[in-house]
Amino acid sequence: MNILLSVPFLIFMPMVLSLLLLSPLFTSNEILIRRFSKSVFAIHFLYTVLMLIFFDSANPYSSVINFFGLDWIQSMGIKFSLKIDTISMILVVLTSFVFLMASLSSKFNIRKNHKFYYSMLMLLESSILGIFTANDMFLFFLFWELEMVPAYFLIGSKFSEQNEYNADAKKSAVKFILFTFFGSMFMLLGFLLLHYYNFVSNGVLSAGYADIISSTIPKGIQMLIAICLLIGFGVKLPIIPLHTWLPDAHTNAPTPVSMVLAGILLKTGGYGIYRFNYEMLSESFKTIAPILAVLALINIIYTAFVSYAQTDIKRIVAYSSISNMGLVLLGLCAINKIGLSASVFHMVSHGLVTCGLFMIAGIVYLRFKNRDINTLQGVAAVMPRLFGFSVLIVLASIGIPLFAPFISEVLTIIGAMNSDFSDVIKFAALFSLPLLILSSCYMLKFLHNSFFGEVKEEFLKVNDLSVHEFVILASILCGLIIFGLFPNVILGTITG
Amino acid sequence: MINDIFSIMLPQMSLGFFIILLLFLSMVLSPRLYKYSRLISVIGIFCSIVLLSTVQTEPQYFGLRNSVMSDSYTLLFQFVILVCGFLVALLSKNLIKTKKKHAYTFHAILLTAIFGAINIISANDFITLLISLELLGFSTYFLISFAKGYYSKEAAFKYLITSAVSTGVFLFGVSYLYGITGSLNISQIYEYITVNETSLIYSISAIIIVLGLSSKLAVFPFANWIIDVYKGCDTSVLAFISTIPKLAMFGIICRLMVFPLSNSFELTFVIAILALITALWANTYAIRENNVKVIFACSASANASYALLTASLVSVYNLSTVIFYLICYVFMNIGVFAYLNMYGDNNSFEVESFKSLYHKNHGLTCAYALLIISLAGIPITSGFVAKIYLFSAIANSGLIFVPFLLGLLLLTVVALFYYLKVLLPLFEECDKNNETKILPPKFSQKFVLVISAIITFFIGIYPEVLIQLCRYIAYNI
Repeated sequence: MNILLSVPFLIFMPMVLSLLLLSPLFTSNEILIRRFSKSVFAIHFLYTVLMLIFFDSANPYSSVINFFGLDWIQSMGIKFSLKIDTISMILVVLTSFVFLMASLSSKFNIRKNHKFYYSMLMLLESSILGIFTANDMFLFFLFWELEMVPAYFLIGSKFSEQNEYNADAKKSAVKFILFTFFGSMFMLLGFLLLHYYNFVSNGVLSAGYADIISSTIPKGIQMLIAICLLIGFGVKLPIIPLHTWLPDAHTNAPTPVSMVLAGILLKTGGYGIYRFNYEMLSESFKTIAPILAVLALINIIYTAFVSYAQTDIKRIVAYSSISNMGLVLLGLCAINKIGLSASVFHMVSHGLVTCGLFMIAGIVYLRFKNRDINTLQGVAAVMPRLFGFSVLIVLASIGIPLFAPFISEVLTIIGAMNSDFSDVIKFAALFSLPLLILSSCYMLKFLHNSFFGEVKEEFLKVNDLSVHEFVILASILCGLIIFGLFPNVILGTITG
Repeated sequence: MINDIFSIMLPQMSLGFFIILLLFLSMVLSPRLYKYSRLISVIGIFCSIVLLSTVQTEPQYFGLRNSVMSDSYTLLFQFVILVCGFLVALLSKNLIKTKKKHAYTFHAILLTAIFGAINIISANDFITLLISLELLGFSTYFLISFAKGYYSKEAAFKYLITSAVSTGVFLFGVSYLYGITGSLNISQIYEYITVNETSLIYSISAIIIVLGLSSKLAVFPFANWIIDVYKGCDTSVLAFISTIPKLAMFGIICRLMVFPLSNSFELTFVIAILALITALWANTYAIRENNVKVIFACSASANASYALLTASLVSVYNLSTVIFYLICYVFMNIGVFAYLNMYGDNNSFEVESFKSLYHKNHGLTCAYALLIISLAGIPITSGFVAKIYLFSAIANSGLIFVPFLLGLLLLTVVALFYYLKVLLPLFEECDKNNETKILPPKFSQKFVLVISAIITFFIGIYPEVLIQLCRYIAYNI
């Protein structure tokens, strides 16, 4: 079975198909393109599920691609090597799922430039999968940079004639790409230093993860590298002073793209911190962790308040993602097994929740041409099914038992409480408890203002959920409930 | 002896023969036959490339007191210069059409410039170097003034003055070096330096020499000319200016730094600071500019400063990264100017006028976009690999240079901003009343653009072969 399940195929299939889709030879019939892309994403998801079923954590999938017997950049010891271990596997499945949902929801939001849109979506999937599966830091960096290109076009291009496209989209796309590039330049500095000092201490010219973990780098330099890398990942995650690109990008992007950005793209930052700071530079991470925990606390509390002040549904959800990513960071700072597994679990559960919330925002906007919760009212009266799903997903997001976020949030805080090397982290965990209240404040405000009340007359004939939307929301909800009831599916595999 | 020189100087000689042939034809032929001038110069350069392959790669010195040398390093640089010259000559079709009378003269001067450039690389003597430098400089001056209009004359004059001043500075440094070592031969100076202790005056002379030479790279004290020159001159000449003088100058600067000027920490530091200032100036200047030519001028200056900074941290590894970076860079630049050449020199080069060109010609605009992305250093292009490889050299040079590296990396973020400014209007929606008229692309322009895009893309995917070559060259210098 292992012969059929290859990592390069998993990563490069969407990329190759995106090029095929973009080529002038491919049909320009919109319906065919849409069905083709949907089936590609569906097949990809099935493939990842198959990989998950046959996954064996003692013997993870890995492969090294050679070019005519030479490594990719042999002179610098850079190999084109890919590997899927437990955490990668979980995030790969999540990625594939979120992209499938996004492609399904594209039917209503994308009205033109289908070819370009779907090919960019596939390219984005490939590059994000590359980030999660790379086993060499320069390969990681390649995918990290590559991901900017499709993300830029998806945020900034015009994909529908309606006034859903607003003039700020281009500006926020430029903002996104400049912020990311700024971060990744710091990251490059860190990688170059890491590469060099790994060579100095190990004597092997290599950029592979395993070689770097085994090297002993002096602590001062480790701190320098760790800070550089943290700035890079902090832009993506985002950690508070570096977050300003996020609300703009998430608000102005089309709905499916917002789902992808919040559902997956932010997780690449968390994954990077785990992979590099937590795993490779563990010595310096112990020193940095208390500071990071404070930053995470600021993330959690500050953005929760900001989110409460917003009136645009998408902005509320965007700020709530920043808040939740603070929790992911806090889990990593705990440096113990509970914290780590809770952090990864929260990535998954938040990915699902935020996907669902953006979907709801998109559906509401599509029908009512309005995302302002002050003027929007009475959605529940005309769209009862949407209301049902919204109540459940909103409840899930504020951490009600039965749903996955409850377990991940509580476990994160338990993990942080149990961290045994610094009291700062315990305090941070203690003070992050109000998150559970604050999140219910802004989420319930959103639910209350937009769904209850009298509906305006011109919207009386609005249709309820279509089959596509129903399927998307139902499958997201299924995921939330399954992971809420059986959290050991994920937690067990991480803790071993 | 004569036989030796003949076998080694064959590429130069064939180039010289074609220069004389073109000059002769310019007197004899009527302007109606202007088209053949391009053909002849292309054939001339091609012959030179073919003859270059017959030269041995072992180090050889010859000429009066060994004033000329040849080894694998010079051969590589000469080869790249000739290939660039070949592509540049192909682009000249539109320019010579506007000046049919002077078509043959133009190509004769172009070949003279290339002749000067390949002689700079192989110079082993400061006098030979000076003569070749002037040959390149004066030819460039004529090429710049070749375009129509007042601006090209102004640009040419500015270039002339800058290069005259910088030559003076260069000679000043050489005179110090002569005073210390009593020789003008590079090998002999190197021998002297390895045996004797060096003093501060030696470092000063080294700094002055490199300053004088780097004026053609538009590095800080002599950087201002580049804006006017790029604004004023024709795009086919720009393809020349942005590549060949740069290759020649880096060729000689790197060799000087590795050999006679190597053991001077002051030189490294001064050059590094100047390069950082240049990068700062060029990148911030371009933010407010809306003229595509000026933006590329700033980008040229900035890119040169990155490579110069790396070259100044003398080591063999750094040398290989600089060579790799230059080879990637010249192909990106030639491709970019091929596209601008196709766009036509009669149009305005404001960013806005490039709007929605993607909808007029998909393939070629995509190739152009790939080249710009590569200049910005985004994968999967050669620019990305070149950036990592080049900056890894600075990172390997010690913690003192980490602030420099950080500065350069942050400036590339600024650079991305103006590259986006060039890139984004291309893909905008079509306007009904868009009046930009593009001449129908000629085969030669398409050829140059596509070739450079393909090279950029393939080096981006699989750089190892070229890197191995650069390392081989650098370790055998």
